[in-house]
Amino acid sequence: MAAAEHAAAASGADALDAYPLMVGKQDNTTLTGNLLAHVWARPDKGWLLSFMIALSGSGALVLAITVTLVEGIGAWGNNIPVGWAFDITNFVWWIGIGHAGTLISAILFLFQQRWRTAINRFSEAMTIFAVMCAGLFPLLHTGRPWFAYFMFPYPSTLEMWPQFKSPLIWDVFAVSTYFTVSVLFWYLGLIPDLASLRDASKSPIQRKLYGIFALGWRGSGRHWHNYKVGYLLLAGLSTPLVVSVHTIVSFDFAVSLIPGWHTTIFPPYFVAGAVFSGFAMVMSWMVPARHFLGLKHVITMRHLENMNKIILATGMLVSYGYLMEHFIAWYSGNQFEWFVFFNRATGPYKGVYYLMLFCNVLVPQLFWFKYFRTSIPWMFIASIFVNIGMWCERFVIIVTSLHRDFLPAAWDMYYPTWVDITLFLGTIGFFSTCFLLFLKFIPAVAVSEVKELNEELQHRPAPVTVVTGA
Amino acid sequence: MEHAAEHHGHAAPVGKTYVLARFETGEALVDACYKVREKGFESIDTHSPYPLHGGDEALGLGRSRVPRIALAGGLAGMFGGYLMMVYMNAWNWPINVGGRPPHAPPSFIPITFETTVLLCSLSIFFGLLVLMRLPQPYHAAFELEQFRSAVNDGFWLSVALPPGSDGKDAAALASQLGAKEVSTVKESVE
Repeated sequence: MAAAEHAAAASGADALDAYPLMVGKQDNTTLTGNLLAHVWARPDKGWLLSFMIALSGSGALVLAITVTLVEGIGAWGNNIPVGWAFDITNFVWWIGIGHAGTLISAILFLFQQRWRTAINRFSEAMTIFAVMCAGLFPLLHTGRPWFAYFMFPYPSTLEMWPQFKSPLIWDVFAVSTYFTVSVLFWYLGLIPDLASLRDASKSPIQRKLYGIFALGWRGSGRHWHNYKVGYLLLAGLSTPLVVSVHTIVSFDFAVSLIPGWHTTIFPPYFVAGAVFSGFAMVMSWMVPARHFLGLKHVITMRHLENMNKIILATGMLVSYGYLMEHFIAWYSGNQFEWFVFFNRATGPYKGVYYLMLFCNVLVPQLFWFKYFRTSIPWMFIASIFVNIGMWCERFVIIVTSLHRDFLPAAWDMYYPTWVDITLFLGTIGFFSTCFLLFLKFIPAVAVSEVKELNEELQHRPAPVTVVTGA
Repeated sequence: MEHAAEHHGHAAPVGKTYVLARFETGEALVDACYKVREKGFESIDTHSPYPLHGGDEALGLGRSRVPRIALAGGLAGMFGGYLMMVYMNAWNWPINVGGRPPHAPPSFIPITFETTVLLCSLSIFFGLLVLMRLPQPYHAAFELEQFRSAVNDGFWLSVALPPGSDGKDAAALASQLGAKEVSTVKESVE
């Protein structure tokens, strides 16, 4: 496969680009065929098996939610002083995972990074499902999720308003805005592709169903005229939005007075960590998906290598965050602050701490080497480690800062119960269920944008030809 | 549309007629657009799987109205969000939280930002739908089965004919400009 890509690169565009953005000579007809093929194909055994496993995970989630609702959050391992544990860890982890989608779709779009085109649809879908999983945890942690609407400002008979000076209410607004805008952005990008599905479909039922969601799109130049501007503006809005969301999530901690949480480095450090873990999650899904859906010609080694470079860069930012956090804890001379960090490295949760350092600081260093950046098995393994590492980071920040607070008499340990663990694994199942359905029914790459990219690539002069001519 | 109904009195409403012409490439379509407009056909449109390079100019479209809609939505979200918090937490029911004043601007910044982005995005999305007149389940162009290539690999020019025209002149012009297939479709009116 690598050989084929090299061969394509030799015949293709740029002498300096080792790997092309698109393999082989494609035109609009072949792209319509091969990018939609996986939607028309009957689900194979692999998909069905994965779907069944994922669906069992969703079932486990329903079970864990039921237990939580019936028994109350006493079914979890949370206690005093560890009031936040698995729930908020999972919340922050999932929300962070969502951020890569917005980064790829919006920020790389604004920077005109053409390699984003083949992977944006995929990552945006991931954003939406990840935010759905994330939102579940604080909702359940309220204890009475059926009163969750109390958090929205509506004129109630209780004559109560939300308390807008609380970072937790900021979070409600940030996450719900993020979810809404992500869905709008995703759907807007999807409309031309839904129309493509509608008009490439063979059966009347498919034509009708995709037709409903395509809203009657007919590729009109008068529509594109406004559409392009609207899409660009939404990208422009999503960019500060994604930064704001994890910043506000970090405010949940940074605005409090708990040692280990009350630091000004949190917002940038959380955003970097979010992108880091999000890219790792995109990688973990993309490596198998491009193989099984037959998308290797549009999601090439170039895309994977670029993503690994971003993982390396954001991994270094996260490492810097760790370094600075520890330095300031020592430099501040505050004994409680210093104790928290000392306790992280030597206390009862030190295993999680060292796992975090291994996964987030050491593992990404592999990507300094081209061999690892372009090796499919290595990048897959590394991405799994980063996912684990970033989960550990949130656990370390939340639980180790709480379990030994100011008075030793109040210290306590946190151990997850089976409900905690099932809830977490259940959201992974739910996420996978949504993702597998997405991969089955919707084109995994933005077909219209890839066609446009293909057009641009073909109009770019090929320096290789010039060299041969001379 | 309304004018047409008036002209025809109480007779059955007459659907619009379009000439649809497919071109091989986007460039050919854009070139054809200019030439068709030179001949005096103004209600023309292009249909392509992705936005055409130079397509807006070829259709003679000015600046999009989307940015102004976005600005209006953003301003509404910004002022609406901030004033909402001032009203609820400082005026209607002031609460002392950690000694902060009831009207605490720094604490109101995050939500002001979020409501700005939210209303701006909603106005862009729904503004777009209004400008594009979508959802529109039926359009005369869909009468032609071949036109379905417009969102996949075809580049189509559509010319809306003035009432009374049979479209022969537009069809001839399109063929002359190199269209690969030319058809006339009539809006079905129930």
